[in-house]
Amino acid sequence: MKTFIAAIVMTMAAIAMPRTAAKAEDVTLTVWTHEADEDAKVAFRELAARNLEKALPGVTVKMTWYEKNPMLAALKTALPAGQGPDVFYVEPDWTEYVDAGYLEPLDNLVNWNNIQPWARQVWVHNGKTYGVAQEAYTNELYYNKDLLKKLGVELPANAQFTQEQFLDLVKKAKAAGVTPIAQGVGDRPFPGAYILGEALLRKLGKDDYRNLFTGKLSFDDPRVVDVFKWVKQLVDAGAYPKDFMTLKLGESHYYFYTKPGALMLPMGSWYTGRAFVPVDKGGQPQDFPLGIMQFPAMDGGACNQCKTSNVGASFGINAASKHKELAAAFIDAMSTPEMGKRWIETIYLQTGIKADVKQFSGPHAAYFTELMERQNGTDYFIGGPLDLTRGQCKDSFGQVMNSAFPGGLLPVDQAIKMMNAACYKG
Amino acid sequence: MLQGLGQRGRREIDARRAAPGTLTLFLAPALLLYAGFTLYPVLRTFYNSVHTIKPHGVEEFVGLANFSELLHTDFVFWKAVGNTALFTIVATVADVFGGLLLALVLFSRAPLAPLLRILWFTPVLMSYVVVGIIWVWIYDYDWGLANQILRAIGLGAFEQSWLGDPHIALWSVMATHVWKWLGFNMIIFLAALYALPGEVLGAAELDNCGWLAKLNFIIIPMLRPTIVNLLVLSFIGKMMVFDLIWIMTGGGPLWSTETVSTYVYKRAFDWNTFDLGYPSAIAVVWFIIILIFIVLMTRLLRQRDRLEF
Amino acid sequence: MWRRTPLILFLLLYTVVSGGPFVWVAIMSVRTTPEIFANPYALPTRFHWEKFAQAWSHSNYSTYFWNSIIVVTTAVALITVFGAMAAHCLARYRFRANRPIRFLILSGMILPPQLLILSLFQILLDYHLYNTLTGLILVYVASHLAMTVYILEGFFAQIPQDLFDAARMDGYGDFEIFWRITLPVGAPALFTTVTLNFIILWNEFLYAVVLLTEDDKRTLPLGIMHFMGSHQLDVGMVATGLMIAIAPVIVLYALFSDTMIRGMTAGAVR
Repeated sequence: MKTFIAAIVMTMAAIAMPRTAAKAEDVTLTVWTHEADEDAKVAFRELAARNLEKALPGVTVKMTWYEKNPMLAALKTALPAGQGPDVFYVEPDWTEYVDAGYLEPLDNLVNWNNIQPWARQVWVHNGKTYGVAQEAYTNELYYNKDLLKKLGVELPANAQFTQEQFLDLVKKAKAAGVTPIAQGVGDRPFPGAYILGEALLRKLGKDDYRNLFTGKLSFDDPRVVDVFKWVKQLVDAGAYPKDFMTLKLGESHYYFYTKPGALMLPMGSWYTGRAFVPVDKGGQPQDFPLGIMQFPAMDGGACNQCKTSNVGASFGINAASKHKELAAAFIDAMSTPEMGKRWIETIYLQTGIKADVKQFSGPHAAYFTELMERQNGTDYFIGGPLDLTRGQCKDSFGQVMNSAFPGGLLPVDQAIKMMNAACYKG
Repeated sequence: MLQGLGQRGRREIDARRAAPGTLTLFLAPALLLYAGFTLYPVLRTFYNSVHTIKPHGVEEFVGLANFSELLHTDFVFWKAVGNTALFTIVATVADVFGGLLLALVLFSRAPLAPLLRILWFTPVLMSYVVVGIIWVWIYDYDWGLANQILRAIGLGAFEQSWLGDPHIALWSVMATHVWKWLGFNMIIFLAALYALPGEVLGAAELDNCGWLAKLNFIIIPMLRPTIVNLLVLSFIGKMMVFDLIWIMTGGGPLWSTETVSTYVYKRAFDWNTFDLGYPSAIAVVWFIIILIFIVLMTRLLRQRDRLEF
Repeated sequence: MWRRTPLILFLLLYTVVSGGPFVWVAIMSVRTTPEIFANPYALPTRFHWEKFAQAWSHSNYSTYFWNSIIVVTTAVALITVFGAMAAHCLARYRFRANRPIRFLILSGMILPPQLLILSLFQILLDYHLYNTLTGLILVYVASHLAMTVYILEGFFAQIPQDLFDAARMDGYGDFEIFWRITLPVGAPALFTTVTLNFIILWNEFLYAVVLLTEDDKRTLPLGIMHFMGSHQLDVGMVATGLMIAIAPVIVLYALFSDTMIRGMTAGAVR
């Protein structure tokens, strides 16, 4: 009897005990991300994780590093089943996660003082913000300064050639035995369309460029056809490498700055992620004469000072997460001004985090200065064709505008027809 | 007790009948696993195919709308069906008869046969990831073996973009797939050849049959069950080819290597949607097509006798 | 002697074609990526054996390797046992449900994995088997039973009924018959299915990628993808990774090939 009462008393005491011990319980925050092969980014995100663990004892951050496609497959199977990590990598054009309700609105969770307003804007849908941008980039046209000089061509003051001059440049380079533009579409659905896309942006201006890819403007529009015809001239003049169709993105970098060497490389400014690593890991040679020019100006172009900028790697919180505040704390830990500065200095990329970009040091300061120079007076269009297109249109963009057309496999009228069939809703 | 039974006793002790308990015990593990992990997902997929999954996980019954869209307006699907059919038929024939050829070569007492048996089997052991990566390197336009060899022997004019040209990409992938599986068919055929009764072959020799005649009238007919068996297995395997294509071309260029499996995968995982209804419809249609083919094929080859190795 | 020349040429040619790529990868696995890009076909000037150590420890290959061993050997063992039992039953005994069950199992052979993957995921979740090696093993067994049963059943059915009748008369029970007759006589087919299943499962990729999310549960095929990131393509390390993945299979094969082929060849019973 006594034991029985004692047991009851003990149990009741245990129940009545105030829950001060709850804070000491161990929590594991799960994070899924990719880019495992970019050491600088791995170091960056792991550092944020360790910082958070130091600040909040009892918390462990478990980061799983994927390759991109497996990560997509894993997310798309886990989330509908109510599973998945607390925090995961997302990109702004993955709106299906927002539509399906798998991302938690972050307006009241994350510290927005550290994020650039335009970076936040990219992630706003229906008045709520769903992701925090970490990586930002612009589309640039990199070139080899020495090769340009050797061809006897001088870059105009505003670093922008005209259509004629550009075509001429391509022909000159080809004649000198230099591949004019290093580009490959072997493993991505967008690089082949850099020249074409940027030209369309400058010719049509921001509104019609958007309309084109959202099905409101027909590809038969004479301005669009003009641009396609001009690019066809470039293709026929031998602008792209022979193995354009199968050359991989990483290989196109190597093609440009090491072997066999090319004159130009259109690329997002995350170019640095590959170029600024040690040479034996595939980076550019120490003394490579890297230059940046603007994409060519279009005749009668509506916005020749336009440029594509975009937000890349971002992070969101799983709507089914049981540790939302903690997840937000992790995202905040990745977005402090110090982390922003670290991002720029170790990854050499722009960011959505507010960071002081005036004073950065390091071996590539000159590059960054030139990059910033090329942003003067620019009118940004935020987002690319992959963000604007959906479904069949997106698929056709990858197969036609990115791959087959610049690869010389399609004539202008067929390319236009295929794009219209897939995209134009009018 | 059993001695007095003799021949007539066979009727009473039927080794072909067993107690229900025994039957269950034999079948249960396989069937249970199968039901739990295969049947249910299949039924679930059929269910999904007549729904569309809208935002926030809401399932909306759409009847045959997915199928209608698929069969009437989806040009990629039909391209994929065509590619898969071509791939399956050509690669299967090449695979099986290539394997037969190799087995015959080894059987005819070629030098070093035991060593070659091992060497020629190695491609089978490699995973699709390994094989895919290696052959992407071989097919590389600039530094790949294929073009380098052509250049070295003076046929440089024939250099191709093996995986970048829509007209030959599928054939290039086919070649790789066949390369991987030839060794397997070879071993099976070799085993079957060794199992052929020596007397028949000996008798043929005595009758002064030529090498070709021996092949046509004796060996092939006797190997018929094996040939059919391998054709069926190979056919099924190639109908579902995914890994190799995914690694080598991802379905491009211009959908020339898009197969039904890669298309299902793309619609389920790569397109900006969580809708499983449409990809499920594709999978259902494809399942029905394969089923019809298999039934036709077995009917055609009139597989009465059981298949053997 | 000269008549054999075409034959010898053919042998040489095919050996180069089938073995060449493997040798090339082996050579690349001891060279660094820049060396390879400079001259893809040169022989190594220095043998960079440290790459293997690097892949093994730094890139977690040891974990992937052991996970693969555990998953594949268990799965193959289960498939063989369950499959043989089911095949024996279907081949040997007459009962009403025989044909329907056989049809059911055999039609499982033509189900593409993409069809099953999403629902499979849900099931594993419900049974708390998501992201576990056990869950993956069960999925592997279930998805490859059909082909094994197909092959074994065809072979078992060929075993002459006399053997079984005699055994019955000698008083053997059903299990003893299975154990003492079907299995030994059916050894060639068993060898075949074990080999085939091992090869297929060792290299299986799609299920593993979706059903395992933690790095320390990953299997070897996923490990190789580690070096094929979206940015760098570290050709040298990929080659090293490939060698680690292929090595055990080749070693096993070299050790057992003779047994295996003898097994597959062992006088087919007619």
